[in-house]
Amino acid sequence: MTLLWSGLALGAVYALVAIGYNIVFLSSHTFNFAQAQLVMVGTFVAYTGLVVLRLPVLVVALAATVIVMVLAGLEERFAVRPVPDHQTQLVTTLGVATLLNGATQLVWGGQPLTVPFFGGNDVVDLFGGRVYPAEIALLVLAVALVVGLSVLAKRSMLGLALMGMSEDREAAALRGVDVRKLAFWAFAASGALAGLLGLFVGPKTYAVATLGAALALKGFVALAIGGFGSLPGALIGGLTVGLVESLAARYLGAEYSNLAVFAVLLLVLMTRPSGLFGRVTERVV
Amino acid sequence: MNRRLLAYAVTTTAAVLLAGCGGGGSAGTNQQEPYRVLITGGLSAQGVLAANAATSVLAAQASAEDVNAKGGINGRRIEVTVVDDAGDATQAVTKLREAVASSAKPDLYLNSGPSTISTATLPLLTQNKILSFNVAPTKDSADPTKFPLNFDLSPSPDDQAKGVAAEAKARGYTSIGVIHGSSAFGETWGPAIERAMTAAGITVVGNEEYDVASLDMTPQLQALQAKQPQALAVDGYGAPVGYLLQSVSRLGWNVPMMGDPSVSATSLVTSEPPAGVLGTPQVANLTTQVYKSTSYDPAATRVNEMVASMAKLGQIKANLILAYNYDALLLVAAAAKDAGSTDPTALAKSLEKPAVQDSADTAVIKAYHFTGTAHSPNADPAEFVFVRPSVVKDGQFGHGAGT
Repeated sequence: MTLLWSGLALGAVYALVAIGYNIVFLSSHTFNFAQAQLVMVGTFVAYTGLVVLRLPVLVVALAATVIVMVLAGLEERFAVRPVPDHQTQLVTTLGVATLLNGATQLVWGGQPLTVPFFGGNDVVDLFGGRVYPAEIALLVLAVALVVGLSVLAKRSMLGLALMGMSEDREAAALRGVDVRKLAFWAFAASGALAGLLGLFVGPKTYAVATLGAALALKGFVALAIGGFGSLPGALIGGLTVGLVESLAARYLGAEYSNLAVFAVLLLVLMTRPSGLFGRVTERVV
Repeated sequence: MNRRLLAYAVTTTAAVLLAGCGGGGSAGTNQQEPYRVLITGGLSAQGVLAANAATSVLAAQASAEDVNAKGGINGRRIEVTVVDDAGDATQAVTKLREAVASSAKPDLYLNSGPSTISTATLPLLTQNKILSFNVAPTKDSADPTKFPLNFDLSPSPDDQAKGVAAEAKARGYTSIGVIHGSSAFGETWGPAIERAMTAAGITVVGNEEYDVASLDMTPQLQALQAKQPQALAVDGYGAPVGYLLQSVSRLGWNVPMMGDPSVSATSLVTSEPPAGVLGTPQVANLTTQVYKSTSYDPAATRVNEMVASMAKLGQIKANLILAYNYDALLLVAAAAKDAGSTDPTALAKSLEKPAVQDSADTAVIKAYHFTGTAHSPNADPAEFVFVRPSVVKDGQFGHGAGT
């Protein structure tokens, strides 16, 4: 059971990154390569607030949310909005990711920094396995976010406008949706989420400048398995990646861990090219 | 007449130009000339690389002061030139080429950077007959048939592994589990540990590798735990060390862990909470392998003299494992005394003599064992000790908390 907890917690981290990818993707069909790096910046802000400045958790949570939201807003304004097509946006957001990797290393150095978890740092026994409180929080947070955002998408005007934009940007604009403004705020919201996540992800992964690169790839695989644009898909995809990675490392060896993850990805894409929960859209040719 | 005059002028000009190209910059053996030492390092690199380079440079500068105070290299005063290569092989080669072509060609080159820089600079050094030492060995950097004027200062993974095996045997372990990263060093260290343990009569119950980009090592550790080794030999650097310690705690596994020197260089284990885990249950079972010189001992006069020399010139930013360059100049001074010359080939021959190595009175590693067939230090297991995690002061463990 300990191994399952370990895999699920890892999967929750990937799922949370994939959820961030999805928020932006749904609003503007942009794939924000820097999303994992924004989570990484969130962990560094959490470290600085909790360890260096010794601020209360709520203040740190607010600071991390605002700081990373501003960063994401700047990214949208200068690296996404001026670029006309989504293919080029892949390059510019990758550039932002590289910039954030370098900047964090310059500011905080290359060594891992501990981010204490406000819910305790001692291992607890749960359902016959051993797990850290931060890992339980990650799992709960991932599930709560998927449920909350799914409800928001279906029951609120904002959510419906986002879904409308996702379906057809021009039609949504004709129906009075300010698509540019909404795309900006979706970007900012994904940044705010990434900042807040720093307090939860940091205790598991440490604040370290290589974190963004480690999370970006697996987060993308989680998204591809679950289906681009699907929030439940991001959760299932993330947990699948985490579990496959852990079980393969345990029973096949670490050298087969990544191979197994990509084998699952291939299998899913061969049987369902749009991912487990992705929607197939018909095109007129 | 005019033709003869023209021919004379051309010949004279050519001679002057040739002299300018080759002669002025040659490594002279004139005792009036300084003994020029060029040291490159990633001083402007990011993070820990910069601290490592700064310590390497500081060690060379301190050694130069100490050797100069005793008469220099065969009477020649050492002049150290520090060049920042940003930890980049291309920059290191460019800066080295510039120095070789200048009027102050170096007599000795010290590489403080990673093995990529050793690989890039060694052919150039051999071509220009420049004596060199480097802290980052490559596959063939210690092979005198390829690089007759180069000497490696850093002990090999095999040397380190023999040290771990000797310690495990001394503690009475009969079975060991091994876990190492997928880095180039980790992949060399893992099999080296297995060989050394087997040679020492200790059973290796499992040898697990982890991806250095992985965020959790629970699966690999659980696989080892199932085989019930008496202790774990651990390789890791940076965040993976933290993930390893987290995973061991998660499993509730009360097992002694013997970390390699890179574990000791991870700030997480040398910093107290909340920034690190020093003094917490996570490191209660951890000891790390370091050089004897890296562990503070008030009775180690030679090492303490070196630390004092370095501290006089500046802050020691990384642990003394990076201070090999202090030994390099002592070795050259001893070789020059033996050879009666500063000719690089003569110095290299002298450096291969055990008597010269003994007379150098080195500090970081007590005894180097360069031979005519291998220019690697072949460090004895006795050069290493195992220490409990502690804060690092003046580049040494054992000064404060956690000791």
